Amino acid sequence: MQREEIQRQILTILEDLFEFENPGLNDNLRDDHGFDSIDAIELLGEIEKILGFSLTRAEKEKAMTIRTINDILDYIEVIASEHNK
Amino acid sequence: MVNNFSPMFFDFIVTSALWFYFIGGFLLFFLFFYLLAYTLSNNRELSFQYLNHLFYKSFLRLTRLLVPRHSWQIDQDITKIKSSVIVCNHVSYLDPLIIISLFARHKTIVKTRFFHMPVFGWLMKNAGYLPSSTDDRFTFLMIKQVERMKEYLLKGGNLIIFPEGSRNNTGNMGAFNKGAFKIARLCQAPIKVLRISNSDKLFTPGKFLFNTRVRNKITVELIGSIEPDYLHAPPTVAELRNLVQKAFAAG
Repeated sequence: MQREEIQRQILTILEDLFEFENPGLNDNLRDDHGFDSIDAIELLGEIEKILGFSLTRAEKEKAMTIRTINDILDYIEVIASEHNK
Repeated sequence: MVNNFSPMFFDFIVTSALWFYFIGGFLLFFLFFYLLAYTLSNNRELSFQYLNHLFYKSFLRLTRLLVPRHSWQIDQDITKIKSSVIVCNHVSYLDPLIIISLFARHKTIVKTRFFHMPVFGWLMKNAGYLPSSTDDRFTFLMIKQVERMKEYLLKGGNLIIFPEGSRNNTGNMGAFNKGAFKIARLCQAPIKVLRISNSDKLFTPGKFLFNTRVRNKITVELIGSIEPDYLHAPPTVAELRNLVQKAFAAG
């Protein structure tokens, strides 16, 4: 999956499900959009749907350090590429 | 001086007796059953929740006995609540004990630092309580508990949340954290709003002694029941928070 396609899906999720307004790729998720750990756990469920497989414990824990939308995109790309190896 | 000293002395005796029971009663009457549940129970979380419920219930029974000037009135409908996110105001350290004593099947959100405490942390972890943040080694515990919450609620459990976070002694409601409403929406669960009053007159924030001398009535009321149509008209987190704030304002 191309980064542009992942970005489109993630932005749609953030706007529709998490009520983000005008999200920027480098916005601080917590400070700019009130995105907290419960949101992050909900987002992980959405990421699993995009990827089509379940995340491991380590992958989920790693997601809790994400700060920006670009971080989310990097995170998904890395996990997808590792899974395809 | 003697006049002031005597009532304070009585408060001291009662407080000592209550905290003695809190520690000694746990060790004498409950620890064995916790260990039994830890080793033998098929559902350790439910067993620990039930034991916590019983322990706090017994502590509050003793409290009622030792401080008869404080009367208690609890809505009977409250104990029938199930499969809900329960939000409650928070004015005294006793509030979590009071609310947990009403529900055999319950989980609650607790400050992460309490999970580090010996015994207390072990009890909370095994009862399936949630740490309030994803700091350090409790990150996965929180992820696991949030992911399982919908199923837990569907099976009849309740999630108790004090949305003000820390206990509030201003007399007014504090600002609400959004966590309760996010979990309710995530799990598509109804929200029950409880108001607890005057528990701070029995055990006042910032004071060590129980105040046994005032005549007081502690009440727990069900002041709101919010059952959104999550399928056809899902509310936003802000809308859920507003509904709860309105319930408190009206109640």
